[in-house]
Amino acid sequence: MRKIVLILAFILIASGTALAQVEQPLIVEQPLETVTISLDKAEYKGGDTIKIEGKAPLGRPVYIEIASEARVQVSRLDSRRDPDTGRIPWVFYQSRDIPALYMILMPEVVKAGYEIEKAKGRDWSVSRTLLMTGADVAFLTPPKGEVHRWQASVMATITGSKGERLAPMTEEMDRRRTMPLIKTRFRHIENVFSPTIQVKEDGTFTAEFMLPNNAPSGAYTVIAVVDEDTKSAPVAFNRDLAFGQLYFPRAGQTLNAIGPFLLAVAVCTFGVTMGAGGGFILNPLLIFIYGIPHAIVAGSVLPSVLFSQGAGIANYTKIKFINWKLGVGIGLAMLAGGFIGPLLTQFITLEQFRFLFGWILLILAGIMVWQTTPGFLERNKRENAILKEFKKKAEEARAARLAAMEEAKKTTEKK
Amino acid sequence: MYMHVNFWGQEFKVNMIIGCIGGFLIAVMSSMFGFGGGPFMVPLMTVILGLPMYVVVGSSLLAIFFNTAMASGRVISFGNTDFLLFAFMAAGAIIGGTLGPQIAKRLNPLWVKRVAVVGLTILGLMLIGVIPAPR
Repeated sequence: MRKIVLILAFILIASGTALAQVEQPLIVEQPLETVTISLDKAEYKGGDTIKIEGKAPLGRPVYIEIASEARVQVSRLDSRRDPDTGRIPWVFYQSRDIPALYMILMPEVVKAGYEIEKAKGRDWSVSRTLLMTGADVAFLTPPKGEVHRWQASVMATITGSKGERLAPMTEEMDRRRTMPLIKTRFRHIENVFSPTIQVKEDGTFTAEFMLPNNAPSGAYTVIAVVDEDTKSAPVAFNRDLAFGQLYFPRAGQTLNAIGPFLLAVAVCTFGVTMGAGGGFILNPLLIFIYGIPHAIVAGSVLPSVLFSQGAGIANYTKIKFINWKLGVGIGLAMLAGGFIGPLLTQFITLEQFRFLFGWILLILAGIMVWQTTPGFLERNKRENAILKEFKKKAEEARAARLAAMEEAKKTTEKK
Repeated sequence: MYMHVNFWGQEFKVNMIIGCIGGFLIAVMSSMFGFGGGPFMVPLMTVILGLPMYVVVGSSLLAIFFNTAMASGRVISFGNTDFLLFAFMAAGAIIGGTLGPQIAKRLNPLWVKRVAVVGLTILGLMLIGVIPAPR
């Protein structure tokens, strides 16, 4: 019995060393499983083509992740019905760590998977694309950021809150939650994925990526990935701004400064001429021409409206043309509305924003058509005559007041 | 329910329930999409509340100002204001505010309105997707 145990023990030890011997060559092989990568330049301008070269282990697909150091805030309300529970989650996700520019280059062999996802149009998904093309291994930078969650509800929205803050998620959940945020930010599959890496028989690969004109300024990192353990060292490059270009940090894009300025001047001048202010025309154009996220458009144009309104109020106050009781009365109800509105902007998608804005503009056009009908013009003519008379009276009253004050001053000076 | 308002010696009766509900809805809409709500506020106060134009012009502006000020604070706190973009838009608003009235004096307001109707309709249909628009 003892002998048998001894023999068994011997066999075990012997097989153990044999296994160890098998492992040995694996460790030796490790250095061969490396990926190298290099760029043709260290600095690029918008519109430049980045030429990437490298070498990967033979026969393995290689993926290249390009991410800007510049980050933006992305929000999304999950209103998609859960197929298992049949409930709409209404969870609001927000991250401030989404790269302003993000791209995963993939080998040409996975193009079929990419095309299937692209054919789905608006219903494409980042997670499915990553799985189908194997690019999952290169999805490295976005999951490093934090994603916050809130349980949204009608009651919370009425009180102006995003909802109840939900506890942080596991790392894997966090990783999955960044994927829809990437879609929210970049919208179309071709803005995030590109199956254009050419892998040669000897394991070397080349790829080209045109840095878009609106790409953020500053540092970028490029990394080539074969699998979880086999990555290249990250390579950095810089995006320089040409003369006149500016980086808009919240919008997360570079624009030529003259464009938005001229647009704002032209549209606001026309808006004031037609008597409606600039926002109605400016906001859709900023989305159409520059593709700025809708929440940023609303959030940047709205405070600028304060200037024209403030100037108008100052003018009307001088001639005592504001009824404070009436203005403050309705103003308090509007204060509550202004508390909720900006929250709703974050809750809706770009498609919903466009659709609702479109109808608002059509209604506004309807109001303006009504304002050009003969009946309205007749009434308006009378009203304007009275308005003019009142304004004249008001101006005279103001002049009289000022004169009286001047007089009073003189008499006190004389004394 | 009714508020009595005195404007330059004239007495007006204002239905505050309708005024506040309407004002609230216009405020939600205009702060959500980022514009001043003037073109909607004036019809609300003249047609629905039945106030004459000379009472409405100044007071509606004051009411809207409450909305814009609150909403501006909110968008800034949400991190949705790009201050560089805001600077450009504010410059546009100030320049447009001085140039606009000068130009308006020389143009027939009826034709300005008609051009605006055509422009707004095209833009609206583009947003809804009836007319092809950039994605």
